[in-house]
Amino acid sequence: MVAWVVQSTGEIQKLVIKEEISVALQTLNFEFQAETPETMTKEWSHLGVTGSGDLEVLMEKKNLGGKVQAKVVTPVKGFDEVWRRMLGKFVNDCQVGDVSIEINDDNATPIVVYMRLRQAWAESSEKEAE
Amino acid sequence: MDEFDNTMIGRGRDAIDMIVDPDTFQENAIGTYQCEPDYGPCASVGTAQLKGRPVTIIANDAQQFNERFPVVFGGVIGMEEAYKMAMAVYHSIEADKDKPIAEKRPILLIVDTPGNGPGKMEEIAGMNKATGSYQLALAEARKTGHPVIACVIGRAISGAFLCHGLQADHILALSKEYGTMIHVMPLTSISRITKMDIEKLEALSTSNPVFAAGAEFFYKLGGVEEIINKVEDMRDVIARHVDDVYATKAKGEFEKLGPWGRGLLGEERGGRVVRLKAMAKMDEEFEAVADQYLNA
Amino acid sequence: MQKWDELEKSSFLDANARQRAIGMTDKGSFTELLGPRDRFTSPHLPVLGTAVEFDDGMVTGVGRIGKHPVFVISMEGKFIGGAIGEVNGGKMVGTIRLAEKAAARIQKEHPDEYAARRPLVVISFETGGVRLHEANAGLLAHAEVMDAFQDCRHKLPIICVVGSKVGCFGGMGFVAAATDVIIMNEQGRIGLTGPEVIEQEMGKEEFDASNKALVYRTTGAKQKYIMGDCNYLVEDTIGSFYQAIADVADKPMAEIEKLRRIGSVKLVEEQMGLVKLVGDMQPKDAMDLWKYYGNEKPEELPELSTAEFLKVVKCRVRN
Repeated sequence: MVAWVVQSTGEIQKLVIKEEISVALQTLNFEFQAETPETMTKEWSHLGVTGSGDLEVLMEKKNLGGKVQAKVVTPVKGFDEVWRRMLGKFVNDCQVGDVSIEINDDNATPIVVYMRLRQAWAESSEKEAE
Repeated sequence: MDEFDNTMIGRGRDAIDMIVDPDTFQENAIGTYQCEPDYGPCASVGTAQLKGRPVTIIANDAQQFNERFPVVFGGVIGMEEAYKMAMAVYHSIEADKDKPIAEKRPILLIVDTPGNGPGKMEEIAGMNKATGSYQLALAEARKTGHPVIACVIGRAISGAFLCHGLQADHILALSKEYGTMIHVMPLTSISRITKMDIEKLEALSTSNPVFAAGAEFFYKLGGVEEIINKVEDMRDVIARHVDDVYATKAKGEFEKLGPWGRGLLGEERGGRVVRLKAMAKMDEEFEAVADQYLNA
Repeated sequence: MQKWDELEKSSFLDANARQRAIGMTDKGSFTELLGPRDRFTSPHLPVLGTAVEFDDGMVTGVGRIGKHPVFVISMEGKFIGGAIGEVNGGKMVGTIRLAEKAAARIQKEHPDEYAARRPLVVISFETGGVRLHEANAGLLAHAEVMDAFQDCRHKLPIICVVGSKVGCFGGMGFVAAATDVIIMNEQGRIGLTGPEVIEQEMGKEEFDASNKALVYRTTGAKQKYIMGDCNYLVEDTIGSFYQAIADVADKPMAEIEKLRRIGSVKLVEEQMGLVKLVGDMQPKDAMDLWKYYGNEKPEELPELSTAEFLKVVKCRVRN
């Protein structure tokens, strides 16, 4: 399945929803570019549980020419624009770059999405726990 | 006319007669052990001959009621039943403890059970221990060398199938024409609990063996070794599997049998293909750090 | 992630699966195996439109307590109630098999030090049993776990830990019973049949599933402790669980065997004695048995703190 999304950068990008995931779970892909991006300190970090009304975030440092790639897997349809906004806001607020974000969602509200992204980002820049 | 007028549901005792050599079933006797006759009435255990060889029989008796435990009837495995079954297994091991593998008696599970005792007294005393102890006994017998064969003649439902069936070396099942039922939960209940649409579940179940009800789906997952298409063949097919299992054990290939063997079969038949990959990856990741844990 | 020292002081009940896994092993010693980055999600959930998780709701890995390698399985109740499917079931079986293979290697490489280096398996249960979305695969995984347990008998201990919100029910209820040692906090619950099903089978007047106190008296840790089905009843901190696990890690196998409930003729005979007692007594409530075992005021026991309870409680005497 193919859809079209408006990127935070203003570009219109073709969005491919993988067929093997089937119609039942949706995969959304986004790309963002902050003005003065900084990447994370850890190689990768993970936070959260895909509980009802919640989500998990996996962030990985990746050479993306300063961009952020985000992939969201969610059972909820029709909220592509909300996802784009919350992810875009997070990338801009924290000036994130060269990071790949993967999210497994189970009906999290936009506020929870934003909060988890901020927590995951804080954790990804923390020093290793002793 | 009933859709399944030749069903074996509720006919555990008839199945014993159809499978073993005529008039050889000695109920409650295993080696020198004698089970109390009125203990755990919804399970029937004993010794019979199968093609001239002694076998331990463990069957559900769906016609009985356990007067002391009111939720136990219709083939339900209650606490007394599960411990009675466990004792039948342990005493089979004991009776043959000095014999070589080739002479350890087969243990035949005749399966027609809708569940474990779902009552208050069962939870207070610990039904979980009863069903767990029977499974550990079967696993021990299997690993000691006894061929353990399960034959599903009727209902093999969820935890009761785990208890009475899924620890066997090989599992056989009468085909669906006999009304055989193997499942965790019917689709209607899955739909209610998971809040998934029943029509969608029904449509998906035809192609997805992983949650659909039926022996043929368990076959695809490797959960059943062979489907028996004619009830008259039960005796011969069981005897053939006993021979197969003896031969496999004689070669020391225990990992081709039992739950682990069925996992391999599940991959071969394409029903469960991810679990072995996951385990292989785990092994690989452990190997990379093994030294700091094994030689700390 | 919180620092280890903070984890030890924090509530076990409120901890997620990963925090528990880290906190039940020595500081800084835990390595996750098949963690979220491996992305082994369930292949069966997407078809049904159900959200997936990178670790499939189970944290598995290896840590240490002293020189003992600790193979940890920690279930996450927030993801589909901690239920067992193909992948997390495979992770559970894979971890137990790794422990058994590790035991064989240590026997070979450190034959004189086996007791001090003997591995252990720790399972933090938080599950209702089979995951219905992939019910058949989940069911088969339960049988594999029991099979793997039997391979570990008399070689290394398998420790059951129950103290999380979901408790341990369904098929995992008998898996828990089949372990060597059971450790619970007061909030832990173990059973086979869930309260709603009992109510449905017996009627509301016999068993009211909405009566939380009744449900707890029937399946809760204090009941399990009195019956001899819980070996350690500990305070609700991760550190308390860690201490109890460390205590078991150093015990000789022969002593651990005595903590078991099932798994031999002798133990089955003991349980048959208990079933006979219950059949004769026909208890209406677990408190009838508490009284039988010498607790004069059974109705006061649920109100006591763990420490007070342990001081006064009288338990079933094991043979």
